[in-house]
Amino acid sequence: MEQYKLFINGEFVDADSGKTFETIDPGTEAPIATVAQAGKADAEEAIAAARKAFDRGDWSGLTPAARAAKVQDFADQITRQGLRLAFTESMNSGQVISLAKFMPLISVTLLRNLSLAAVTKFPWEEEIPVSGNAFAPGREFIRREPVGVCVGISPWNYPMYIACWKIAPALLMGNTMVLKPASYTPLTALIVAEAAKAAGIPDGVFNVIAGPGRELGEILCTHPDVDKISFTGSTEVGREIMRMAAGTIKKVTLELGGKSATIILDDADMELAVEGALFSNFFHQGQVCSSGSRVLVSSKIHDEFLDKIIKRAESIRIGYQMDQTSHMGPLVSKQQLATVERYVKLGKEEGAELITGGKRVEVKGIKGGFYYAPTIFANVNNKMRIAQEEIFGPVLCIIKYDSDEEAIAIANDSVYGLAGGVFSTNTARAERVARGVRTGTMWINNYHIFSDYCPFGGYKQSGVGRELGLESLREYTQIKRIHVSAIADHKSNMTFQIMSDYKKVEGFSYNCPTAVIAGHGALSSIYKAVADLGCRRALILTDSGVNKAGLAQLVKDALVDFCVGIYDSISPDPDLETVDVATAVARELKADCIISVGGGSVIDTAKGVCVTLKNGGKVNDYLNFLVLTEPQTPHIVIPTTAGTGSEVTNMAVLTSKGAGRKLFIVDTRIMPNVAILDPRFTMTLPKDLTVTTAMDAMTHAIEAMMSTLANQICDGLALHAIRLINENLPLVVADGSNEKARLNMQLAATMAGWAFTIAQVGLAHGMAHTIGTLHHVPHGVACGIVLPKVMRYNVDHAADKLALVAQALGTNTAGMKEHDVALAAADAVESLMKKVGHPMRLRDVGVPEENLAICAFHAIADTAVIFNGRPVSDPNEVLQIYRQAY
Amino acid sequence: MSQAIRSFRADKGIQQPIRIALYFSGCCDSSLYLCVDTTFETDLTLELDGLTFVINPEIYQVVGEVTIPYVDEMGRKGFVLTSSKPVGEWDGFGVSDIKIQPNLYV
Repeated sequence: MEQYKLFINGEFVDADSGKTFETIDPGTEAPIATVAQAGKADAEEAIAAARKAFDRGDWSGLTPAARAAKVQDFADQITRQGLRLAFTESMNSGQVISLAKFMPLISVTLLRNLSLAAVTKFPWEEEIPVSGNAFAPGREFIRREPVGVCVGISPWNYPMYIACWKIAPALLMGNTMVLKPASYTPLTALIVAEAAKAAGIPDGVFNVIAGPGRELGEILCTHPDVDKISFTGSTEVGREIMRMAAGTIKKVTLELGGKSATIILDDADMELAVEGALFSNFFHQGQVCSSGSRVLVSSKIHDEFLDKIIKRAESIRIGYQMDQTSHMGPLVSKQQLATVERYVKLGKEEGAELITGGKRVEVKGIKGGFYYAPTIFANVNNKMRIAQEEIFGPVLCIIKYDSDEEAIAIANDSVYGLAGGVFSTNTARAERVARGVRTGTMWINNYHIFSDYCPFGGYKQSGVGRELGLESLREYTQIKRIHVSAIADHKSNMTFQIMSDYKKVEGFSYNCPTAVIAGHGALSSIYKAVADLGCRRALILTDSGVNKAGLAQLVKDALVDFCVGIYDSISPDPDLETVDVATAVARELKADCIISVGGGSVIDTAKGVCVTLKNGGKVNDYLNFLVLTEPQTPHIVIPTTAGTGSEVTNMAVLTSKGAGRKLFIVDTRIMPNVAILDPRFTMTLPKDLTVTTAMDAMTHAIEAMMSTLANQICDGLALHAIRLINENLPLVVADGSNEKARLNMQLAATMAGWAFTIAQVGLAHGMAHTIGTLHHVPHGVACGIVLPKVMRYNVDHAADKLALVAQALGTNTAGMKEHDVALAAADAVESLMKKVGHPMRLRDVGVPEENLAICAFHAIADTAVIFNGRPVSDPNEVLQIYRQAY
Repeated sequence: MSQAIRSFRADKGIQQPIRIALYFSGCCDSSLYLCVDTTFETDLTLELDGLTFVINPEIYQVVGEVTIPYVDEMGRKGFVLTSSKPVGEWDGFGVSDIKIQPNLYV
């Protein structure tokens, strides 16, 4: 009789205790080999070897390609042992030889297929182009790294193949392994160990210990040097393994029991359905975790199906497993046979109708063996124990149903959720049923089809995790996220500053790619601009006022035949629905370019349209910060006001009725491609709008300078914007047709837009957003009223910047202290506002005094407040500012 | 063990004997467990510490003598059933509570 030893640290060794056990041929009950019986000491030695090998790095440190090459050598060695493996697998497990002969082949194929996947398809490193954290820019990526020492515990039904389900991904991912094969069937795993040694797999990387699960399991599942356990077996043992693994938080993959349903729909091809149901349950004597041991048959075809499957089951040839004419061989053990018999008896006690089988079978010429006849119960109720508990033998339960919905409900009425099948001539119907069944695998017009790249595993009490496919490779890795900060400076780190009194952010990234074409007659450039963007179907978005003024028509004419329409139903303070309706128009017209002609409302709507048109769905899907990864639908802006700066900014402000406030899309990708600043488009802007939009731009510029994100580039833009507004606003108020002053105001608004799109705004905007939303105060008006008050509030945190603002506003600062100069800046803003007739108090624009407190609470939660130069966390302070402005 | 069973019976208001039964606990393995269900004339009966246990004689023939310690340690709580002729290599690995079998079909 052959003798097999344990395989530990690259050597075949006897058990430390010297113990051995016999393994038998279940077809004859004759012993076929003795095997060294591992105990605690051997398990610990194997774990130590695997740990040492992993830490040594001569396997875990190899490149995926180098490991794959070695696994391919391993596969070659298994191929060399193919005949021996097939015979041994059949003789030891009871698999009929017509099945067992494929086991070496499919195991080798698995090793090779997963090797290829590990090298060519597995995402060892993945970039995360959008981190979802707008405050901590940097490269984000994940690396997948081996878990460490993995324990594989394989079952007796497919001793070699399922062992390879664990060996292949574990080794390919760089882990080391201790494999414990089932005690009934340890032999082929130990032959596979011979192949590993012959292939030169480094010592300790792959170890095999045979022995009793009860004793070894506890060591393997609790040892602190084990990092992962992959177990295939019973739900009861899996539950205990999970509990044991919890002690040291090991990863677990569990592939456990099942009570799968094969659903025969009333339109099934009868012959296929009969063969499918037969195969789903009696294949390998029903000793398959995915067996379709419940066959659900439509009442419309039940009787015909029953007649046919009885005849077919009774034609199955039961014989010695090495006889190539046998369809079914023996069960694996005496205990297995006894348990199956017990369940058949139980089924009869429960009232199910035994219609064939239900008895042991003697095979001619063989004394002994654990043979059992294909057994079918009819009239089974799904509540019966024979329909609820896995029998793991050739016992099939037929359950009648009346509708597809009932079939799905019966299939799902199980603690298990491993697999199942649907037979139908209508693939759409079959797939609807398959989708309704809560299992990890569903086969349609087929059964027991395992494929190397298709994951297998269970829902509910059928397990955790997946084997096979890329999913199995992932199961044997840890994910390491690596963040490499874009700027390595603590003064540029907004997060660190939570624990620091220093709130300014020194480093910055300036990326404002909008092309600006400015000057009298700049509109003419739009024809070329559209062509340069590769577009031919431009849709003009505007509002009715601008359209009636003839400005949209001017643009249409300039586009010659590139314009597919003018949509002018954009209202002030646009909401999400406005964007979605405009997007629908753009889709209908097959627009490939959006041209916005208007103020901030129109431009922001157009930004939303560009995103939604490009990416599909509704604009509500895109109210995010910095998540877009591709250029959006091309967008050309022709502003008709000089204030918002939206023609160059990365922001779209849209009202969400659901949220009850204005929400934002903030993304570099929504910055318009081209901004055309043609003063003719602002010449007709009324005086009051000219003033209030200008104060919006002024607030952008001054808040950008006071911001924690202020920087030299933005400061330069902001200061010049302030100068231009201070010099030109009185001129356009005095003479709205002063084209040069109008152009300067446009340039000022654009520069202020560039400044704040990088440096952000602050408390004044937070306060203005609130009274705009709650009391419908125009944004520019609200900004202007609160701006000087906020400047004074910030004075001790931005005195240097406010001093520069004062100079830009023309204040004579000679001999003044910086603090006083800073306060003078606020005075200068108020002087300008008075000069141009801007409202000065909240009471003048309809804000009720009693609502100021609630406004303060809303304002403090506004995103803009995060960047205010002076930290704001007390709503009472904000209330005081509102009162000053009242 | 006796105390745990008595507590269970008292909690559930159960008078019937406790059955030592055999079942498939999912893929590949069968196990012994304790349950309360209908008793049969053919059952083997054992009185122990004032408690009555029953077992189907065919199952007894397969598994032999059964020990039923109760464990409550390190999060592992329940009855550990082992038999002199183990039903599988994981015999006694898991723990069991006492199941109440539905009698709908008996």
